Amino acid sequence: MIGVWRRALIATAVVVVAFPYAWVTLAAFKDRAALNDPSRLSFTPTLANWREVVEGRVLESALTSLLVGVVTVGIALVVGTLGAYAISRFRSGGAVSRFGILLSQLMPPAVLVVPLFLVAFDLQLRDTMVAVVASHLTFVLPVVTWFLIGFFDGVPREFEEQAMVDGYSRLQAFRRVVLPQVLPGIGAAGIFAFVLSWNDLFYALILAGGNTTTLPVKVASFNTFRGVELGAMSAAILVSVVPVVIACFFVQRRLVRGISGGGLKS
Amino acid sequence: MAQISLKALVKRYGDIEAVRAVDLDIADGKITVLVGPSGCGKTTTLRMIAGLESVTSGRILIGERDVTGLEPKDRDLAMVFQNYALYPHMSVADNIAFGLKARNVPRAEIERRVREAADLLDVGSLLKRKPGQLSGGQQQRVAIGRAIVREPAAFLFDEPLSNLDAKLRVEMRTEILRVQRELRGTIIHVTHDQEEAMTLAHRVVVMNRGVLEQIGSPADVYQRPATEFVARFIGSPQMNVLDADDARASLGVAGVGDGAARLGVRPEDVQLAGEVAHDRPAVRFPALVEVVELLGASAILTLRARADRRLRALVSARSLAHVHEGDEPEFAIERDAWHRFAANGARMAT
Amino acid sequence: MSRRIPIGYRFLAPLLALLALLVAYPLGYSLWLSLTNRTITRQEIAFVGLDQYSGLLSNAGYGVAMRNTLIFVVCAVGIELALGLLIALALQRQRWARDVTRAFLLTPMFVTPIAVGLMFRFLLNQQLGAIPQVLDTAGVTIDFFGPTLALATIVAIDVWQWTPFMVLLLLAGLESLPRQPFEAAKVDGASMWMTFRRITLPLLRPVIAIAVVLRALDAFKIFEYVFATTRGGPGTATETIQYQIYRTAFQFFRLGEAAAMGFVLVGVVLTLVVVLHRLLMRQEAAT
Repeated sequence: MIGVWRRALIATAVVVVAFPYAWVTLAAFKDRAALNDPSRLSFTPTLANWREVVEGRVLESALTSLLVGVVTVGIALVVGTLGAYAISRFRSGGAVSRFGILLSQLMPPAVLVVPLFLVAFDLQLRDTMVAVVASHLTFVLPVVTWFLIGFFDGVPREFEEQAMVDGYSRLQAFRRVVLPQVLPGIGAAGIFAFVLSWNDLFYALILAGGNTTTLPVKVASFNTFRGVELGAMSAAILVSVVPVVIACFFVQRRLVRGISGGGLKS
Repeated sequence: MAQISLKALVKRYGDIEAVRAVDLDIADGKITVLVGPSGCGKTTTLRMIAGLESVTSGRILIGERDVTGLEPKDRDLAMVFQNYALYPHMSVADNIAFGLKARNVPRAEIERRVREAADLLDVGSLLKRKPGQLSGGQQQRVAIGRAIVREPAAFLFDEPLSNLDAKLRVEMRTEILRVQRELRGTIIHVTHDQEEAMTLAHRVVVMNRGVLEQIGSPADVYQRPATEFVARFIGSPQMNVLDADDARASLGVAGVGDGAARLGVRPEDVQLAGEVAHDRPAVRFPALVEVVELLGASAILTLRARADRRLRALVSARSLAHVHEGDEPEFAIERDAWHRFAANGARMAT
Repeated sequence: MSRRIPIGYRFLAPLLALLALLVAYPLGYSLWLSLTNRTITRQEIAFVGLDQYSGLLSNAGYGVAMRNTLIFVVCAVGIELALGLLIALALQRQRWARDVTRAFLLTPMFVTPIAVGLMFRFLLNQQLGAIPQVLDTAGVTIDFFGPTLALATIVAIDVWQWTPFMVLLLLAGLESLPRQPFEAAKVDGASMWMTFRRITLPLLRPVIAIAVVLRALDAFKIFEYVFATTRGGPGTATETIQYQIYRTAFQFFRLGEAAAMGFVLVGVVLTLVVVLHRLLMRQEAAT
């Protein structure tokens, strides 16, 4: 009996989630006339919108987003892994560093963006990747470190100690024995962090300009109040959404396990 | 193999002294067991020897070398941890070879030694598997194999048997003894299980609250406990310890109790009166048998003597033929069986 | 052995350095700004003490924005918690096509918020949107972005995107609960509702607390949906804090004022976290 309600709930949820996707996908292939009449279900698909995507620099902005994301995550993983290991194993910085990381996470972008903007302006770094990457690090770094601390906590100390007694220095023990065990976690954290960077609008909107347009900014630029760019915008949205949805499928199981295993225990 | 000496070793965490001025010589080629309740400092001492904990003051010598400031990797020791610390991403063979690779031992030599160790421990057929595919006992053997293969100056075992079920534990104890006799290794073994200490050790070191209570052979420690703590800790079921006054009042003990604060008697020395010859000096008293726990060849009796004083007796099942719960037979404790302790817990002569 | 400490700090140094540079410094700078009357155009910057802050107290627009944001956070997080719990419970029991369903239902939280905002902007648009069309055939006309409903619509968009986040955390929490209490309840004959109220909920409390805190923190920063759809309107019906700060700083160029607004927001957020943390601690102590 309850089973029926349960299935109904999930079915409804699936429909609610799928509906906007479906609509956007359809819209990406409709021409202008078809778009004006949303109830029409049959139409001749057109690729006009996608030409707009290629010519209108949507792909270019996607590439910029990709680059920004990779660099941001790269830096965050290297710096974060070292720091997380220190915090997990040596309790370096004590409660202060754990707390400090949490604090960074709490800061609303609104409070950080003005100084970042001014500094970028003064250093003539406006509209460069450096500014955007720096701003993304402010929310990626704490998240990645937080996850990694959880993962490191999950590896028993005995592993390094065994390696150290067997003849390795601590650094070597870390590399050979601890790192391989944490690698899947690092992967998941990296993907998660990449998605955070990929999706950011606020910082990219303010700190980037003509040269460094990221995908969300480009998508937002279709948003004129005339609303006639619907087709092209839908195509651009798909370019932004599809990679992320695919990533989600890969990461889903690890995330659930990772959060229930590592993060929640903090 | 080498002798290990600890000189005035102290470990302090802030205000807490986990290990207080331990002086200990570990004999070469023998098994020395550090035993005591949790928190007594035995593991901390072991970890200091390994180099995993810093030393607050004191020195550690391996052979003639003062290793007190050295990194673990430079001390030439092998350690086996409580949960084996087998690397899950490597095969058994790679796990065993791990320490050798660190020291750049040539490949052929590594393979030979791994083979030897695996055969000695009966895991030769498991070399290609991953630790996750092994049973607890097999993992244990691989962990020991990993230690053996390094041919270190000494082995450090940190409660390696604690994760095994009772039966396996007994099996593995015999294994450890067999391997040690074969290799003549110097082993420092830490455990909280006094039975394990008794069966494995050439020498037993009983620790409590960071201090050494007694060092001696298993027989010494059992028959002549140096302190009340050792007397209670070693031996199962636990020794009966009473205030001297209570012993006088409820059991009618005379003479032996004079001058001592507390008296102890092991359950096996509390016998049914019929088992003790009439002319032997002993105190005899009636007691109510409250509970009989049959172990097989022997049985533990919970007795209630005069003034509600409770004692435990360990008797052979045979002698129980006509004794049941609720009976009140006569019991006897020979004069020599008593252990005398002063108020501070120290042993007093009889 | 005392060398161990330097190694730890050596590992930690790059992280702390970056955080100091990218977060601590801007924070400090922001604080400084909030005590000045800096604008982009002004040449001489004067230190005005707490004037910017007191100005906010009399700024009606700011009050409205704060109110809108608080209403938004409470409604959105509340709905997401309730829905999320239901869905997580349902997903936990599901057998058929389990991974696929879960992965699919979790996707909205990963989509670019601006894309979500725009999707809904046009889905709900009177002329071009599919939903008003469908409602039209049923004879119902709803102006989703009109003065009465605009904030609610923004809440709905947030619910679409972020309920999956709640589902993720709650599902992880549910799956890490120990089996035994539930088995004991089954043997004792407890009803489904009783099991839920007396066992599931209390055990899940820490997870719920974290999920609510995380989501609420995020909800305070809401910007993209407003930017995509109403731009604060109609009037100031959907003017949220972060959007207002954006406008104050980058449309009106009043940087000092924007910094002050930002800091008040920080204060509100910190208070929220401390209060929720206290509540959680007290629950833990009680159980």
